[in-house]
Amino acid sequence: MDNIILRVNNLRKNYGKIEALKGVSFEVKKGEIFALIGPNGAGKTTTLRIVATLLTPTDGSVEFMGFDLRKNPDKIRQGITYLPEEAGAYKNLTGLDYLKFMANFYAEKPQDVDMYIERAIKIVGFKDRLKDKVGTYSKGMTRKLLLARALMTKPKLAILDEPTSGLDVINSLEIREVIREFVKEGVSVLLSSHNMLEIDFLSDRVAIINNGQILEIGEPKALKDKYSADNLEEVFRRLVQ
Amino acid sequence: MRKFTNLLKKEVKELITFQLIVSLLFTIGLFYFIGNIVQSEVQKAGEKRDIHVFNLDDSQESKALLDGLSYAGFKINLLEGKDKAEAIEYAKNSNINLLIVIPEGFSEAASKFQFKEIEAYSFIRSFSMTSSANAAIVDQVISEINKLLSNNFLKTNFPDFNPEDIKNPIKSRDFVVIKDIMAEGSAAEVSNIVYSQSIFIPVILMMIIVFSSQMVLSAMAMEKQDKTLETLLTVPISRNQIVIAKMAASALVGLISAGIYMLGFRYYMGGFMGNIHESGQLNELMQKLGLQFTSCDYVVLGISIFLAILCALGLTIILGVMVEDLKSAQTMILPLIFLVMIPYIISLFSDINSLSLPVKVLIMLIPFSHPFIASQNILLGNYAVVFYGILYMLVVFIILIFICGRIFSTDRVLTMKLRFGRKER
Repeated sequence: MDNIILRVNNLRKNYGKIEALKGVSFEVKKGEIFALIGPNGAGKTTTLRIVATLLTPTDGSVEFMGFDLRKNPDKIRQGITYLPEEAGAYKNLTGLDYLKFMANFYAEKPQDVDMYIERAIKIVGFKDRLKDKVGTYSKGMTRKLLLARALMTKPKLAILDEPTSGLDVINSLEIREVIREFVKEGVSVLLSSHNMLEIDFLSDRVAIINNGQILEIGEPKALKDKYSADNLEEVFRRLVQ
Repeated sequence: MRKFTNLLKKEVKELITFQLIVSLLFTIGLFYFIGNIVQSEVQKAGEKRDIHVFNLDDSQESKALLDGLSYAGFKINLLEGKDKAEAIEYAKNSNINLLIVIPEGFSEAASKFQFKEIEAYSFIRSFSMTSSANAAIVDQVISEINKLLSNNFLKTNFPDFNPEDIKNPIKSRDFVVIKDIMAEGSAAEVSNIVYSQSIFIPVILMMIIVFSSQMVLSAMAMEKQDKTLETLLTVPISRNQIVIAKMAASALVGLISAGIYMLGFRYYMGGFMGNIHESGQLNELMQKLGLQFTSCDYVVLGISIFLAILCALGLTIILGVMVEDLKSAQTMILPLIFLVMIPYIISLFSDINSLSLPVKVLIMLIPFSHPFIASQNILLGNYAVVFYGILYMLVVFIILIFICGRIFSTDRVLTMKLRFGRKER
């Protein structure tokens, strides 16, 4: 039981008459990469935004390290970081200023900020450009900066929505490597993607979600075996059919 | 507190952009430039009035008349020439603006009360403030001549009387009464001084409110447009602190910007009002009537203005939640500008205190009305009205902050736009 860091139970979310989530339940274990996979509009982002304390669920519960989402959102925010799919950084700040700004929210003492920045520099890989304004960065550089921001504090749970969205193959590979490294150091990851091949490579367990409902949960290999499929895309197709 | 300071610093950094600094410097330069031009034109208009005279009546009386005009503040330049046409031609070619022609036999006719017409020629070469002053000079010259002639006549016929006493047998002494204080002086002069002192307050307030509100809206719009709001809302800092940091940064930058704009505006207005100054006598009158701000009055006025700014910022945050990008932010500021404009315009052209009760109540419901009328009420000693206004604005501000806090603590800050027809994924 102690191995569970996040427990999502029967989560529902309505936007007016639209039912975005129809009772989603899953758990994330410590030190694992748990992925939500599914097509656009399946409910992945809504689920992640609820866990990240951005949206209030219509029904159901979310418990992170024993804290209830409705009662203790501030406690939850101390242990998580969230990387939205279409996130940006403040264009008028330099990359370094942005990292310092974000680090200051998590640091307990001034030395922590320096430690976080050092970590972030290793992740981004473009130290020489960190003194330039974020507005001058390419999409790949901005995404790396944002990923560095999400991981530099070594959160208990990093929530990453489509972490490699819009990136080229090389940048995507680098980002996947970085995520894996941080998981080895004890960070748990909840991520979403509609790229099922990427998830196959990256995640320890996956939940296949469609139309606001989770259809299946398991390790990629176990799911492929269960549905006699070569990859997760085939698993998904069989589940939907 | 450290997290709040961190956020506040970021907000200020985001607001003070290169474009803002350039725009402020440009505005100051522009105001200074226009103010200087206006001031030089006003000075020109106020200098000793230069008139050119072609005197065809070569009598002692007309010479005395010209001496009288000179004594009355006109600089007399006599033109030599054979006839009127030649004098006009000369004036036309010599950059002369005003030519007065005294006809032949003028003095003799005047002594018999058979006045001949004095001809005044204004040469318009531009339509600046100086050229328009010519018409006024002509009136003044004629008025002075009439005065001199009538005084001479009265002196001759009634040597024991002062001509002024005959022309104006009823004299008056003006008194101004404010509440229990009475002092001798002109009500019009007192009103002018108070008006010239307090005219800046609505302008300053209007500028600060519009500036700060635009900054809050832009900051909110940028957060949404650049997709940074979601990240900010998940960091470990309370939502109330996010709201307050945004308001504080905007108020700070708004105050600085408005201060800089006002500096420029002062140069500009100085051009128009440079010649208005209080004489020692008038100053004494203002002191007697208690029409001067004390340090405490300034503090009360400052609190009133500050609360109005806070109310505007609270309202802007609520409007900002519905903003999606910079373009929609420009539209969203309009309701607030209207709310500020109503008391602003009324306070410039009328007295809010003298409006009918229902209209007055409606105006007073707008929180921004209170600082507009605060300065005059403070001067008139109506402190109760000012304090009620402060209390009212405080209540409005607390309600607005409560609403802001509620919006930011729920997902409405992200989903409110859904109600306006957009679908959330």
